[in-house]
Amino acid sequence: MNAVQSKKMHKQHKWTPISIIGLLILCLFAVICVAPFIYMLIMSFTQSTTLMIHWKDVNFGDFSNFQYVLQKSGFVRALLNSVIVVGCSCFFNCIIASMAAYGFEKKNFPGKEAIFRVYLLTLMIPGQVTMIPVFIMMNKMNLLNTYFALIVLIINAFGVFLIRQFMESVPNELLEAAQVDGCPEYRIFIQIVIPLIKPVLISLVVFTFVTSWNDFLWPLVSTSNSDMYTLTVALSLLKTQYQTNYGLILAGATVSFIFPFLMYVFLQKQFVEGIALSGIKG
Amino acid sequence: MKRKTREAVQGIVYILPSFILILCFCVIPIFMSGYFSFTNYNVMTPPEFCGLDNYKKLFTDSYVTSATKNTLIYVIVTVPIQTILSLAFAAFLANKMSKMKSGGFLRSVMFIPVIASAVTAGTIWRIIYNADGGLLNKLLGIFHIAPVNWLGDTKTALISICIVAIWKNVGYFLVIYYAGIMGISRDLYESAKVDGATSMQQFTKITIPMLKPITYLVVTLGIIWSFQVFDLSYLMTGGGPGKSTVTLVMGIYNSAFKQYRMGYACAQAMFLLVIIVVINVIEDKFFKEKKEA
Amino acid sequence: MAKKRYLALALAATMTVGLFAGCGSSDSGSSGGSGETAKESSESGDSGEKSKLTFWFPTFAASDGEVTDEEFWNEKMDKFEEENNCEVKVEIIPWDNYEEKYLTGSTSNDGPDVGYMYMEMFYDYIDNGTLADVDGYFTDEEKENYVYYDLGNLMGGQYALPVVVGNPRILIANMDVLNEAGITEVPTTIDEFTAACEAIKEKTDVTPFMQPWGNAHYGCLNECYWPFFWGSGAQIVDEEGNLTIDTPEGLEATEFIRSLLDNGYLPESCTSNDDTLESFKNGEAAMVVCASSNALQIKEINWDYSPVLQGSKDAKTFVAADSLVMFNKCENKELAAKLMKYVTSKEVMSDFHTRVSEQPPITKDDEYTGDERYATLFADYGDNFVSLPVFKGAASMYDTLFKNLQSMMLGEMEPQDVLTETTTYYNDNLK
Repeated sequence: MNAVQSKKMHKQHKWTPISIIGLLILCLFAVICVAPFIYMLIMSFTQSTTLMIHWKDVNFGDFSNFQYVLQKSGFVRALLNSVIVVGCSCFFNCIIASMAAYGFEKKNFPGKEAIFRVYLLTLMIPGQVTMIPVFIMMNKMNLLNTYFALIVLIINAFGVFLIRQFMESVPNELLEAAQVDGCPEYRIFIQIVIPLIKPVLISLVVFTFVTSWNDFLWPLVSTSNSDMYTLTVALSLLKTQYQTNYGLILAGATVSFIFPFLMYVFLQKQFVEGIALSGIKG
Repeated sequence: MKRKTREAVQGIVYILPSFILILCFCVIPIFMSGYFSFTNYNVMTPPEFCGLDNYKKLFTDSYVTSATKNTLIYVIVTVPIQTILSLAFAAFLANKMSKMKSGGFLRSVMFIPVIASAVTAGTIWRIIYNADGGLLNKLLGIFHIAPVNWLGDTKTALISICIVAIWKNVGYFLVIYYAGIMGISRDLYESAKVDGATSMQQFTKITIPMLKPITYLVVTLGIIWSFQVFDLSYLMTGGGPGKSTVTLVMGIYNSAFKQYRMGYACAQAMFLLVIIVVINVIEDKFFKEKKEA
Repeated sequence: MAKKRYLALALAATMTVGLFAGCGSSDSGSSGGSGETAKESSESGDSGEKSKLTFWFPTFAASDGEVTDEEFWNEKMDKFEEENNCEVKVEIIPWDNYEEKYLTGSTSNDGPDVGYMYMEMFYDYIDNGTLADVDGYFTDEEKENYVYYDLGNLMGGQYALPVVVGNPRILIANMDVLNEAGITEVPTTIDEFTAACEAIKEKTDVTPFMQPWGNAHYGCLNECYWPFFWGSGAQIVDEEGNLTIDTPEGLEATEFIRSLLDNGYLPESCTSNDDTLESFKNGEAAMVVCASSNALQIKEINWDYSPVLQGSKDAKTFVAADSLVMFNKCENKELAAKLMKYVTSKEVMSDFHTRVSEQPPITKDDEYTGDERYATLFADYGDNFVSLPVFKGAASMYDTLFKNLQSMMLGEMEPQDVLTETTTYYNDNLK
């Protein structure tokens, strides 16, 4: 009843001239948000080297730019690398972070809070500060140009922090009851804790996905072997190789965009909730 | 007793994987970075201790000065604008359009730039900004505005990059703000309405104060991300023209991987760390004082 | 109870191991493997495992060319692999972050055994002892056959084997526009050049000259700056390796570049241009300086060229002298030397010049087969072609100079300040 009423009141207040202007601004911004991508998509079907869309040059049946980018520029390999790196990052980040969060929240051991404080402090440190020593370490250990190097830096304290907040809501009684029933520890974790924290895990997956897919500086620095380039690195190199062949460059951009975009279309709710949750909890 | 030890062992085992990783790839490197910043080191030959030389150079290096200046301008331009825009949009969407399908659609649309990587965004915008027949100049031409050399002019290059950053970030913070506003109890607004508050007053007296923790997060994230800007200027201008778009991280990258001066790059990295920590402390104080007031 | 603990431990352990194993597997093994196995195989000769070499080469092929660089080199290496019972891993390095890739590669085991370097890169690598002196691997006869063998003698050793020598930066002109302005010949001196600019500016609506000051890489100094710089008699470094750009001659050249802009010979938009060839092809610019091989891509314009502009003191232009290098950490240097010889052989190079990038021959048994426009270019103007000197921090110095010159073109620095500031920066930071 109340909800209906308030809805009604909203309706009455709604469309004053000011709010119409607001709506227009909002719509304008929304257009600005998508226009570059539409431009990218159309141009990637164009063969000309001019910058404007000339409809006579556009042929949506002509995939030659895509074909060229995928075949000759190692984009297929880069796409595969990105998928592997992002997939592994999400998977391992979730497992490692939820294990740690569980340990911090539900287990008692000496020095726990001190260690957690260190974790929090590391959140403040930008990756670029640690990049050079990590580069040198990886270099000496011969780990550059490996998936390991690309994945391991994605895993950080943020996930632990995020999940620990959520872990508070997991009732201790439930865990104790399971323990009393003689349920082995690892099963408590896998069968009870993990299902309970699923929403926050999805949030972490989304977060990890976005960071890891977009990661550029570290892959740029740590890969010298073109077989190990991720999509962002491959795309950044396209611009020097094909200078003014804008159709080709934008075809590459389209390829790098399409995968996360499809993810977003299908998992829209999870994406938005994931980000929102990380905001509220964080 | 036994139970306690067991629990402790279990706890340690659970945190061990993440602890090792964070120790190896975050804590130890910080100290290494600190150490290298006092050495001359080019990876190929062992590091050579050189005292404060790197830090002294830091303050005379015109490249670092420009980078610091540019990064600060970048932070000062992007963070407030993206925070205000995303707050305003989120408030509008939450209050006026939360029950409408089109509101949800607008939100999803504005989130699209977040999905694209900075590299993708930079690639597209570089072409849009092109001085010679780029989309933006063509559009301006319709309104009889003379073409602007967006990325080729020292006066506009940095701002052009800021615009892309704002374009890319608003959707992200909007989602956070939107969730925050939806979390505010409706009753507060209802009672304010009964008291005769206008929607503007509701916004300033209820929404903004209630969102303070979220604003803190948005500003903190915004600042930290902005200080780390690299991808956009690397892709769109490569730091040029002149030194007008070099950033602190680009300076680190260039010193380390172009000039092979790891020690000097580490000194720059430590400098960046100090700036971020100091700004965080100031910001903390600022938000706390406001809370007390 | 203890059992559970072990289970938990085991679980954690498997997860950790899984992490390392699952993602640690990569193809780091494909590039020569660990040092020991490679050594063994080289000692055991033909029997047993095949030797592996990693070969790095930059991109040369045109984006719309018939073969990509990868295809070309893989095809060539097949033959070498068969003859020598070895494996060669070809890696094509894009120009964009070339130096970074070499740093990353050469300090890790993933790097090249045989690579390709340009003059700006040499100092650090030779200074560190990363490169091998290859003199001992070549017979006198072989040395004799290389036209530019001595160019590879750097800092007291034969650290380089010149492979792409040429691509001089030449002045090309759109003859239709020049004729319209009443000029029949491509300018050959600075004075003729400025006169031509003036005439084109007066009589046509085409931009007289274009330079890529919007480019992000200092490499375009080679066409924008050095030809004029050397023409006025200036030198980049003296014999002791001191930077000597801040001299009256250097200033003269720098002021000349600036005057091109001030006189309206160069358009304002040059500060955002990063591909002059495109402007030339579109007929927007009447004259540009570009690499000789790139000029051959121009089909739509009636163009002619002048190899070098006579400046006030000298007539010099940039020529690339890029070399193959062998890295010291290479386990099988004999084989690596063989590879270097194979790559520079007439057989591979003439094919490279016809199919990938038009360049003059580097060996005496090879003949010039390229475009007839350039048939006598190298014979007649060889003495006018200069390559960059090798000195410490060269690449960074160029980068700094280039950024400062960009600022000058944008009206934010004076010519004298460019030279002073670059010199100070170099002496303080890079020396």
